[in-house]
Amino acid sequence: MKILVCVKQVPDMESRFKVNSEGVWYDEKDLAFKLNEYDEFALEQAVRVKEQLGNTVDITVLSIGPDRVVEAIKKGLAMGGDRGIHIKDDHPWQKDPWQIASVIAAFARDKNFDLVFTGLQSQDRGSAQVGGILAELLGFACATTLVAFELNGDLVTVRQELDGGMCAILKFKLPAVVTCQMGLNTPRYPTLPNIMKARQKELLAFPVTNFIGPKNLAATERMYLPEKKGHGLVLEGDVNEVADRLVGVLKEKTTVLR
Amino acid sequence: MDLELSQEQKLIQSTAREFAQAELEPVAARLDQGGDQAAFLDNLKKLAGLGFMGLNVRDEYGGAQAGMVAFSLAITEIARACASTAVTVSVNNLVCSVIQSVGTEIQKKTYIPKICSGEFFAGSFALTEPGAGSDPASMTTSAVLHGNEWVLNGTKRFITSAPYAGVFIVWAVTDKAAPKGKGISCFLVPAGTPGLVVGRAEQKMGQHAAATNEVILEQCHISQDAILGTLNGGLRVAVGELLGGRIGIGSLALGVGLAAMDYATRYARDRVQFNQEITRFQAIQWMIADAYTELEAARLLLMQAAFREERGKAFAREAAMAKLFATEAANRACYSALQMAGGYGYSKEFPLERYARDVRVTSIYEGTSEIQRTIIAREILKEISQG
Repeated sequence: MKILVCVKQVPDMESRFKVNSEGVWYDEKDLAFKLNEYDEFALEQAVRVKEQLGNTVDITVLSIGPDRVVEAIKKGLAMGGDRGIHIKDDHPWQKDPWQIASVIAAFARDKNFDLVFTGLQSQDRGSAQVGGILAELLGFACATTLVAFELNGDLVTVRQELDGGMCAILKFKLPAVVTCQMGLNTPRYPTLPNIMKARQKELLAFPVTNFIGPKNLAATERMYLPEKKGHGLVLEGDVNEVADRLVGVLKEKTTVLR
Repeated sequence: MDLELSQEQKLIQSTAREFAQAELEPVAARLDQGGDQAAFLDNLKKLAGLGFMGLNVRDEYGGAQAGMVAFSLAITEIARACASTAVTVSVNNLVCSVIQSVGTEIQKKTYIPKICSGEFFAGSFALTEPGAGSDPASMTTSAVLHGNEWVLNGTKRFITSAPYAGVFIVWAVTDKAAPKGKGISCFLVPAGTPGLVVGRAEQKMGQHAAATNEVILEQCHISQDAILGTLNGGLRVAVGELLGGRIGIGSLALGVGLAAMDYATRYARDRVQFNQEITRFQAIQWMIADAYTELEAARLLLMQAAFREERGKAFAREAAMAKLFATEAANRACYSALQMAGGYGYSKEFPLERYARDVRVTSIYEGTSEIQRTIIAREILKEISQG
């Protein structure tokens, strides 16, 4: 069985973000990058499939981006991936989800992957579209926002998280693309020996121009930080009095109390 | 020149940081208060499972072969969360390293994988004695060959991890008549060997979670082949291996210093007195500037010493400079951090008093600052007189 795991490197979300000079993305200078959290769930699930089925499973870890994304691929290899694919692109943020999915599809099309894992979304752009579009382009079944995953033969059973606290159980056959949500699993830490041994694993790099297909369908017009709204209201003083004032505020300014 | 870490080193650093934040930091204050050794040992086992006990150990013995730079980075990250855990990890690595460098193939295969895998929670480095601290050559513990057994007698002091160590590296005098320091040998004594008694626990100022005990050797019989390295060559082993240990302790101090300053600086940014954040006062700004500058210098000294070790270059002087500077800078940083937080800094409600207690010993153990200065001066004078 051949598995593809698509991962993205994103800034540490505790960073201070600034809009770049073009005004359409954040300034990447001075940011610390890490593996997209949702992609860790994807990697972990792929490695669990390999543990379930044994060494007949081959896991490819793919990432699109500048040289720094090699670190994310190597983490994937250290967690249990077998080979890495680095699609070199110094400005991946200029591509919309449709184009990113098209690049991955162009790479994956003739590789006979059975199963593609990726995160539900990236922590920076958060479009949650790449997995779905990729499935469509490859003609694979697709399930998003997984919180449980089970594989029996070529039958996949998953639990999908829906809005309003609802879940759905889906069953479908391979090949498939699935996107992973928090709660699916607890990603393992890569062990130090495996980090060092991952150096020996195959890691191929290709220029993104090898896979370039259609043009963007959507372009970012402008990126900006939301304007600061007024400060919150802090009520201080005697508890009884504060409670009365709170009820007053809720009646006056909200629909909570009428 | 390239000051950038390799991708593997960065991954080891981030793994250590993520593990420390998730698993060590939440329990560090409780472990400092004592009483939950199970949680402490459980964390050691998890760290072993991730490969942190044998960073420089070869793959065939279960190590990571990650190098001294990665070792330094890992210890710093662990110490940012829990100094007691960090010192235990550092000493375990030191013990593995001693066995790997001078042990026989059987000794290496018997002990190193057990420390690396966590089968042993720890290994102990039993050099210091009540009357032999900075001057280990003055030790009195003796080893006498009786038939095909060595018989050890004496008392060791301040032995890290003694109650839960699986093996002890014990230094003892094997030739009383030899010139000072030339008649000491090194032995591997498994825990539970009759005659090896783990004595009273030291009541310490800090690093409470890491046990420090007396170890008493009373007619302790071990087999003839338990000798580690060459007969009467033991002190050279201790001196040589402590060089790497110094990088470990310097890195530990750096981690505690950074933790203290990060905490205090965040606090100061929110603390308002005289109608302004106290970070607007120059007095606070200078504490922040001085401490971070010194800690950054410490980091670079540590990286240099570790880098030289990896390249096979002499690093005795660099390791001593790094330990001296990093531990003293970290002590100053913890003092400033506590001061920045005022009364809260002195309270156990904040972690700063723990950092200040934990960091104090770093300029004492594995070679005091005074001994480091002696080494540095000796190395410099040696170079000058050669020139």
